[in-house]
Formats: sequence, structure tokens, C-alpha cells
Amino acid sequence: MKKRSSTIHIGIVAALCALLAGCGTSAKQQYWGKTVPPQENVLRYVTGSEPESLDPAVPNGQPEARLLMALYDALIEYHPLTVEPIPSVAESWEIKEGGTEYIFHLRKNAKFSNGDPITANDFVFTIRRGFKPELASRNASLGYYIKYSEAFNSKWAFVKNPDGSFLLKKDFLDVVAGAPVADGDVGKGESEFHGFLDGPERLAIPTSEKQKTQLLGSNAKLKAAVEGKELVPVKAEDIGVEAIDDYTLRIKLYQPAPYFLGLLGHQFFRVINKNVVEKYGDRWSRPENIVTSGAFKVLAHRPYDELIVVKDPNNWDAANVKLDRIEFYPLDEQTTMQNLYKAGRVDATYNHTVPAPWFDDVSQFKDEYMLTPELASEYYAINIKKAPMDNPKVREAFALAIDRDDYVALRRTYKPLVDLVPFGIFPMYEAARDKVFSEELQKQGSSLDEWKARKFNAEKARKLLTEAGYPVIQSGGGWSCPSFPVENVEITYNTSESNKSTAEFAQAQWKQNLGVTVQLKNMEFKTFLPLINKVEFSGFARRGWVGDYMDPYTFLYLFYSGQNASATGWSDPKYDRMLDEANNTTDPQLRYEKLAAAELYVMQKNTLVPLGVPGTSWMKKPYVKGLYPNPVTLHPWKFVYIERDPSKWDTNVSNLMSQRDPIVEEQVRNITRTQDEFVKSQAGQATAE
Amino acid sequence: MLLFIFRRLLLIIPMALLVVTLTWALIRFAPGTFYSGEKPLPPAIEANIREKYGLDKPWYQQYWLMISNVARGDFGDSLKYAGQSVNELIWRHLPYSATIGALAYLLALVVGLFSGVVAALWQNSKFDYGAMAVAMLGLSVPNFVLGPILVLVLALGLYLVPPARWGGWNSLVLPVITLSAIYAAYIARLTRAGMLEIMRSDYIRTARAKGLNETTVLLKHAMRGGIIPVVSYTGPALAALLAGTVVVEKVFAIPGLGNIFIQSVFNRDEPLTLGIVAFLSILVMVFNLIVDISYGFLDPRIRYE
Repeated sequence: MKKRSSTIHIGIVAALCALLAGCGTSAKQQYWGKTVPPQENVLRYVTGSEPESLDPAVPNGQPEARLLMALYDALIEYHPLTVEPIPSVAESWEIKEGGTEYIFHLRKNAKFSNGDPITANDFVFTIRRGFKPELASRNASLGYYIKYSEAFNSKWAFVKNPDGSFLLKKDFLDVVAGAPVADGDVGKGESEFHGFLDGPERLAIPTSEKQKTQLLGSNAKLKAAVEGKELVPVKAEDIGVEAIDDYTLRIKLYQPAPYFLGLLGHQFFRVINKNVVEKYGDRWSRPENIVTSGAFKVLAHRPYDELIVVKDPNNWDAANVKLDRIEFYPLDEQTTMQNLYKAGRVDATYNHTVPAPWFDDVSQFKDEYMLTPELASEYYAINIKKAPMDNPKVREAFALAIDRDDYVALRRTYKPLVDLVPFGIFPMYEAARDKVFSEELQKQGSSLDEWKARKFNAEKARKLLTEAGYPVIQSGGGWSCPSFPVENVEITYNTSESNKSTAEFAQAQWKQNLGVTVQLKNMEFKTFLPLINKVEFSGFARRGWVGDYMDPYTFLYLFYSGQNASATGWSDPKYDRMLDEANNTTDPQLRYEKLAAAELYVMQKNTLVPLGVPGTSWMKKPYVKGLYPNPVTLHPWKFVYIERDPSKWDTNVSNLMSQRDPIVEEQVRNITRTQDEFVKSQAGQATAE
Repeated sequence: MLLFIFRRLLLIIPMALLVVTLTWALIRFAPGTFYSGEKPLPPAIEANIREKYGLDKPWYQQYWLMISNVARGDFGDSLKYAGQSVNELIWRHLPYSATIGALAYLLALVVGLFSGVVAALWQNSKFDYGAMAVAMLGLSVPNFVLGPILVLVLALGLYLVPPARWGGWNSLVLPVITLSAIYAAYIARLTRAGMLEIMRSDYIRTARAKGLNETTVLLKHAMRGGIIPVVSYTGPALAALLAGTVVVEKVFAIPGLGNIFIQSVFNRDEPLTLGIVAFLSILVMVFNLIVDISYGFLDPRIRYE
């Protein structure tokens, strides 16, 4: 008996040793955990939290964006690597009228999952529905460039003169916020509706008594003009979308938006089936009723457990869809999903899914771990209205007193950031920015190098703080700033391990370099939101802004008046004008330069402390191919495939964005051919004329 | 007896409504809304949302609407998960929690009662010390520590069972063990204490004196009295187990009620939170009633008039 129990003990000890040894030698293994490709063409992917709905107009989160890309097709699709628009249901398109009119030529073989053809009318229905006030979509503002969509979504009305004409927006630009109006001529259009859309933009005013009185009260001229006139509510049919015929769609914008084409890949614009929506109402997207339009269709949905989608044979591109099935797992616990990954039960995860304490272990797996730049900026917003942060010198001092190289090393983010628009993503814009900044700064007696040195300059920071009236003095080998009202400044962040470590880092840096000890305050996310949206915090608040579309404007727009998306409370009509002017510029290079000038303008106001460009930080098994670590972590799933031959598996994934997969490249080329040929034929026609 | 049950059942309704009212008030006092996100919404869109969900009405109207619907058992649709009713969500996710909870309960009972009785019968033996030491460990190691340790050894070290997610009997192993550990430990200690006390009581001596064999004494006489503390503990414990536990469901990614409950709070999904709170409060009250009734059967000294 005695003997036996000691044998058991030895057995347990041996097993534990083997386990510990297994963990310890993990660095010597090539792959992390079990790495066996599945027998079928199936991808098991972790998407993030449970989707709110499978109705593409409703949810605005990233987890849903990823799922909905599998289920619904749009006019365009994202390129799997560059995220640029490539043809999808629209096989070609043309942009007219100085960038305010888009004509899409739809392919004739596009079908819904129930076999119904997808026509231009379905897109008209989808877009009109998205803006319906009763739907209350949180995505609607993304599409506000479409003429009269904001007016319809906001329940505004046109003002009709007794003679049947309408008040025009251009006559009231001083009251109505907005860009200069692209003017047109009435009746020039190809159809009556087109004539209306192409005509000068009508004025639309709120219909709710409170808002109306407020607006009219602010301007006597407008009040006089509106008084006693008939208000005609803006209808869904007034919005700037028109089915010219079954396979030609027109979208009219109120002002040029060079990134609008890329926006059309957003779930808000993904096409849905009118009959099904009208038949089932708000229950249409349930698994038993749902009809989809994408490369995959719903097989089963068990909320909080899995969403299984299978290849849809009705899809126009079904022949090129390589996966037969995708299993989406709605998980948001990092440790849990990494356990599943290591156990070989998950093939890939979404971005930011590696727990911070695991970085060192995981980043050794060069064939699996990806840290590429993300379309996002991390910064601390400053409440510029409250003293002492109302002083630009104080703000600049705090911004300079953080060593961003140390920050990047600590947080394992991609790169330090001294501007608003992240870099590593828009090479064209970055070149324009360097040029403009260099010229402008030279005029101001500074230089681009000095600007870039803003990533850490403790010396200057102390000088600035002293100049601002808070002398920084040497004390016992360090610094102190006894006169600084430290009780009025704190760092507020929403509770999370990573936000905490960032805040503690900033706190330590400011103590070390300025002698100021700022208090930290963390709060639950939903409690934190109203505080930053109303700018009610003191000092600094943590912000991470993820871009909505692949254009620098998605960041510059943060400071556009009336939005306060920056959470700083700063706005300036001059800045708005600079942005509007840039967007009205057709030449892309020149536009970038104008945007860069605006960026310098806002950055010199020192309303925020830029910190870094986050890295995407996620893992995929080496046998999953065509899944690029692009800056938005959105994947058109039809390009993804499973490679069973280990000699063709991905190696050193840090090169994945530069070494394109030939199979995916070929597939993309075949898809973009229709648009390339269309552009060529247009050019041919132009020269013939 | 029947009157007693009837009275208690009637009391459940106002109690549940009171709980719902308090919860509603708490949610309303919490900052943030179900639709708020990192990116601020244009005022017009916010107005559309508030109108769609009746948030533009005065609070007493909203309360009255809510409480009259709840009284009819209708919690409405979830705010977060469009097109899904709260009742549907509860009934859909309850079975996951209930399966794991029931299995964990059974495991805890079997392990706890057995080791408790044996420890009491052979008091101060090696088994007694061993069992009580393990029970102490089970009580003091929280399940968010025990769970990951089990995952590390059994799922990632030996690849015996999946580390998480629902599906197949082997996916139940880790969550059930993790969940039952603390209950088994507690039951073992309660049983041991209860049995020790009963075995020394007069009526057991009487039973023995009558010449009954030890098995009858133990099972028929001693057990009934000895497990009364266990019963009063395990009644509410069963309610808690069946209704889902947040930590275990999160660690093992189980789509149970605990998981969606905690998410509904983070999401400020008012109808869903209210629905689950009401359901849980009723469940706990019913199980307490069952416990009270079972006392009458276990202990002849307790009678309800």
C-alpha cells in the first residue's frame, strides 16, 4: 500500500515536470501549440463580442463588420491587402460632376441567397431604408454625403415658396453649417429626378418645434424667409440614389468626398432583400428568415456560441470562393481565445487579442504573430477649457515630456506618434505631409526634424512649463514643480489592463521629467463615455480612434466643428474651411497637401497628447492563407484558403503585407479586370471624340 | 401545509416586482446608454433612437409602461440584440447554465456527502484529515484560479479536453469540476459537522440500543437529521448554480445565462437585465420555498400550519 502511493506521487511529479518542461521549451518549437490544418475547407475564426444583429444597417461595431462582410455583398469590396475598393456587385463605375456623382454598372448575374436577382432597385431600397428615422441606425451619419440623406434621417423639411420654388441652402450659408455647395443647373439632368438632384441644393430645416424655434431664433433673415411658408418634409424618395435602369445605379453627393467609394464597403451599404425585409419586419434577420447577398450564407446561429456560415452557390463569385464553411466564434476573453488557439481549435483571431503578459512568449512565433500598423491613433485628449490646461504652453509641455520610444517598447505598439494621422498606412499622404510640414515649419523658423523630435524633449518641456508660470526646479536628483495645481489635472481612462499600464507610464514620465504627479482615475466604459463626449474630465482622457475608412480625413475630421469627436472641446471655423477646401480638390496629391496643412494647424494647437500607432497584434495558423494583417483587420473572406502543404505555409508573417500571395493576386486581378477595361474603353471613347 | 405553500407563492409576485423596480432604478442611475459608443452620435440620430425606444417620454410613463408589461410577463425586446425578445433570450441560454449547474450540483453532492459522512464516521482518521484538507483547499481557491489551472494541465498540457466552448460531453468536464469544487468542499464540511453532532444525540443512542444495525442507524436515522444544514445550504446554491455563474461561463466561453447577464449590464440593455433579474429572483424564492418544505419531511420536529 505504502509502495503504491509513492509510485502515484512519483507519477504526478513526473507529469508536472513534463508539463512545465513543455511550457519552458516552447521557444524551440516552430509553431505555438497544435498546428494541424483541418481536413475540410473550413476556417474557425474568433470575431469578438456577440453580434448585435445580422441586419447590416444596424450594428456599428468591428465584430459585426467582419461577419457581415461574409454575409452581404456591396457595390464594391475591399482589397484583402490594401483595403482599396475593388469591383463586387458593381463591375465598373464612373465618377462625374467633379466627384459628386457616381454611376455604378451592376453585374447581371448577382443573386441573393434565395435566388432573387440583385438589381439597382435593391440598392436604392437598402440605402433609403438605412436612413429611415424609425430604423434609428447609428451608422447613418456615414452616408450623410448622399444628397438630402441627412435631412431625411433628421426629419427635416424643405421650405416651399408660394410660387412653387424652394429656398436654397446657398442663400443661408451663414446659418446652416456645412461646406460650400456644389452648384448645378435645374433641368439639366437625364431624368426629372436627376434634374432635381443635380439642381442647387435646397435648404432643409428641422420640423420639431424646439429645434425649429432655436434655429429661426438665431437668425432674423432666415426667420423672415421661412415665416408663413409651407414646410415640405424630406422623403426617402428625395435622397440622392436613383436606379437608372435595373443594372445602373446613380448616387449623388452634396459635395465631393474622395473617399466615398471606399465607404460603400461598409456594412451600412451592403445590399439586402426588399421582399424579405418587408415580409418579416424587424425579425427578418433571424436565422429562420434571413436572406443574404454575400459569398456565404447562414447555416446556424447559436448566439454567444457560434455563427456558422457556408458558401452560397447563388453568389455571383461562388466559383472563386475557396472556403466551404466559416465558423465564427463570438468570444472576447483574450485568455480563453488564446487557449483555444493553442489547443488547435481556432485558426485565427481578430486584432488586439494577445494578452499583454503573453507578448514575450507569443511574439517569438514569427510565422504566426502579426504586429502591423493599424488604422488608429492612440492619444490623450486634453480638456482645453479647464485651467491650467487652457494654457497652450502647459499642454505642449506635457506632450513633450513623454518618451514615446519607451512607450512603444512597454506597450508593444507599432510606432510612436507625434501627429494625428497614423503612419505606415498612407504612404502618399505621408510624403505630402513631410513636404508641407517642412515648408510651413521653415517659414515659422523651425524644421521638420525639430517637429519629429517632439516624440520626447524633456528639456524643452520643463522650459515651457516654467514659461507658463509653473517653474520646474531641480530637487534631489530629480525635478519638482511645486506651484503646479496638480489637483486640477488627472488622467481618466476606461478600465482595462492596457489603458492602466499606459496611464501609469504617462504618470511616471511626467513625474520624472516635470516633477508633476498626476492622479489616475479609471471608470467603466459606459460611465466613461458621457464624460469624454461632454468634455467633463479634468486634464487628460484616454482616446483610441479607429478610422472608419482608408483616408486621412477619417482622423482629421475629429476636430470638425459640431462633432467634438476629438473629446477636447476644440474647434475652429478656419480649420473646417481648410478641410472643406481640401475635399473640394480633385487632384489627390494637392488634396493631401491641403489636408496636411490642416493637420499641422490643429497639431500646433496642442489639444492632445499623441502617443502611438497601435499594432494589430493577432495570430493566425500558418496554413491559413489570404488573410492579410491589413490596417483595419477587415477580411473579404472569399480570398481566404487553407493550405495543406506545409512547404507553402506562411513564414515570417511580418513580411506578409509586402509579399503578396500569388493565388490571391490572381483572384483580385480577375475581379478588377471589368473596371480596368471600362476605364480603358472610356478613355478610348474620349480620345475618339 | 398547502395554505403555507399558497401564501408563499403569492408573496413571490410583489417581491419580484419590487426587485424589478429597484433594478430599474439602479440602471437608470448608472451613467451611459445602450447606444453610446466611442464615437459620438449626431444629435438627430440620438433623437431617432430615443424616440424609437420611448426614452423621450417622462420617467414615470416609462416606468409604468415597463412595470405593467413586466406584470404580464412581457419584458419586450432586447435593446442590444435587435429583433430578439428577452423571454426568448432567457429560455435559450438557461439550458446551457442549467446543464452545467445541475451536473456540478450532482458532483458536489456526491463528493461532498460521501466524504463528509465518511470523515464523520471515522473522525480523526487519515481520511478525515485528508478530506478536510482538500475541502479547505477547495474553499479557498477561487474558481477563476482553479479554472485556468485545470485548463493549463488538462487542455493545453495533455490535450485531453477542450480548453473552452460548448460542444460534446468532454467540453463539460472542466467547467463542471471548476464550478462544483467550492460547493463540494462546503457540503463535505457541513455534512461532517452535522453528522458528528447527530451521531452523538440521544435518539441515535436509542436506535442503537434497540439493536438496529449500524447501516439502518446511519442511513435512516442519522442522515435525515445530519444533512439538514446541507439542505438549507444547497437549496439557494442550486438556484445559483442553475442560473449560471459569470466567472466560469466567461473563462470557458459557455453561452449561458450568467454570460449574457453580465453583458447586458455592460451594454446597458435594460429589458434584458430586468428580465434576468426577475427570473433569478423568482428562481431563488422558489428554491427557498422548496427547502422550507423539505425540512418538514426531513425533521419530524418541524411542522407547518
